[in-house]
Amino acid sequence: MNIEDIYRRYQELQVWVGWTEESARRVAATVELITPHLVALIDDFYDEIGRHPNARKVITGGQAQIERLKGTLRQWLRELLSGRYDRDYVARRWQVGWRHVEIGLEQVYTNAALSRLRIGLMRVLHENWSGDQRDLQETVRALNKLLDLDLAIIEDAYQYEYAARLQRSERLAAIGQVAGGVAHELRNPLNVIKTSVYFLLNAHNPSSEKRAEHLQRIERHVSLADGVITALSNFAKMPAPKRMPFAVEQCLREALETNPLPETVQLALDCPASLSPALADIDQVRIVFANLIRNACEAMPQGGQLSVTTRVVSGGMEIDVADTGTGIPPEYLSRVMEPLYSTKTRGLGLGLSIARAIVEKNGGSLRVVSKPGKGSTFTVFLQTEHPQETHRL
Amino acid sequence: MTHSASILVVDDEADTCRNLSDILTDVGYQVDTALDGFAALKLVRQKCYDIALLDLKMPGMDGLTLYRQLRKICSKTVALVVTAYANEATAEEALAAGAWQVLPKPVDLERLLCLVEEALNQPLVLIVDDDPDLCANLWDLLRERGYRVVIAHEEDEAAHHLQEHAFSIVLIDMKLPRGDGSQVFQRVRQSNPQAHTVVITGHRVELDPLVQRVLAEGADAVCYKPFDVPHLLSTLQRLTERSRPQS
Repeated sequence: MNIEDIYRRYQELQVWVGWTEESARRVAATVELITPHLVALIDDFYDEIGRHPNARKVITGGQAQIERLKGTLRQWLRELLSGRYDRDYVARRWQVGWRHVEIGLEQVYTNAALSRLRIGLMRVLHENWSGDQRDLQETVRALNKLLDLDLAIIEDAYQYEYAARLQRSERLAAIGQVAGGVAHELRNPLNVIKTSVYFLLNAHNPSSEKRAEHLQRIERHVSLADGVITALSNFAKMPAPKRMPFAVEQCLREALETNPLPETVQLALDCPASLSPALADIDQVRIVFANLIRNACEAMPQGGQLSVTTRVVSGGMEIDVADTGTGIPPEYLSRVMEPLYSTKTRGLGLGLSIARAIVEKNGGSLRVVSKPGKGSTFTVFLQTEHPQETHRL
Repeated sequence: MTHSASILVVDDEADTCRNLSDILTDVGYQVDTALDGFAALKLVRQKCYDIALLDLKMPGMDGLTLYRQLRKICSKTVALVVTAYANEATAEEALAAGAWQVLPKPVDLERLLCLVEEALNQPLVLIVDDDPDLCANLWDLLRERGYRVVIAHEEDEAAHHLQEHAFSIVLIDMKLPRGDGSQVFQRVRQSNPQAHTVVITGHRVELDPLVQRVLAEGADAVCYKPFDVPHLLSTLQRLTERSRPQS
């Protein structure tokens, strides 16, 4: 976040808590009174930190570091009482929150330690105040507002930096996941290519048929490797859907035609002719159906029944693609639509995440119920051109 | 001699099987391939392979499960596990299960061929003992020291293995289910005259006359149970070194 934004935020907060020039003047007027007590306040502050093991552990540099930190706190207190609360002041407060993320000091300890410091400052004021009591009350109120503002900026910086770091580490984890999935899918064709090349270079007396066989194999696996990369980049840049009314039955039949069922799988297709046209991109929805049909067949290696059932629901229609296959264990169910997650030994694990992304971009939704040993049912919701009711339940 | 050794290649990628088969056949090994664990186990029941080259991640039965099953059928087989995942944990698991080496995919073929040759040069040891736990311990212990180990729990099994393989060393328990170990000893002398024999027994006093007789007939050493492991290992090492110039 840039300093102008931070400073604007600080000024907003000043207005909220009712901070004025007068408040600044009152705080600045306490310098002489408080300064003789700074060392004691600072020592007390670090004693407090020392009482919390989780706070203490971030101080890794021993006594020398504590002395340095005490110097920083002394500087912080001097600035606090300086009466000048400009951009530089706010930037240095922001830096404190940033630094705490950097060293791994949780915000609760900043809050606790600052509360301690606040009590100490107030005690010093009360014990040494020689003027009017009403002035003391106003001064205490001003100092509290200033400390609240400081804490707000430190906490804001902490949260901002913390979230940014979390995002960076999540991005790294995602890259790791992609790399793992791609590694497996690419290494298999690479392994074939490498071994064929080795054979061609080293075989003692290969026949010309053998040589041709290995060359064709190399070509085939270069295409396979290329297909992995195509699948990934298609996933990354899915085109915006062109939503037009279309007949779902026709789309289902096309998907079934390009993905013929194994002989052991029986099809039960229930699609009433009266069904209104769906409103979505037919080319994209065909990909969804194809993925769901392929998955269903792969879940039934010993054969079974594939049931495709459509029905009218509020706001549109639902299409069930149900198999009588192996089912998905409950612990995997929430993850099967995540990209690059697969319970199969082959494949990138993109099929269902592509299906879900497509359906959602087309204004629909995809959900799954499954029973291990019984089978899974994937349900696609699509909007229709003339929905029966305007709102989905 | 080692070039007529048998190798089983298991990978769910048919082209990988074909390629490894072409390469290994070309240098003179006998190669069979299987596309999954079930087909592989069927082959292993018919033939005890010298080496198994196993893909780790396969549908149906993964390479590790396959190896655990395979070991029960043929303990001699040296397993080389191939994996596309550079994953330390699975590699360690494979090694803990008794696999000899874990190789990353794509496979470095020069290294693979060296390892195959090295495995085939590892001395072959037959353990004849009816205690399965002891045999399992000895398998781990000796495998780690670079021996290939075949286990027989009773006389007929021992006779079968002696027919099939040429052993460097045979360890014979003197008390077996159907009598004393001296019959097995005699069989070793007939079918594996090159093999060194080590008599093992937990009955130091009762079986002493028998042990003395077998030693007199040419057994190389005796080890008493519970084993003094360093002594057992040094005995085996001494015997393999003695037999090396002949092989």
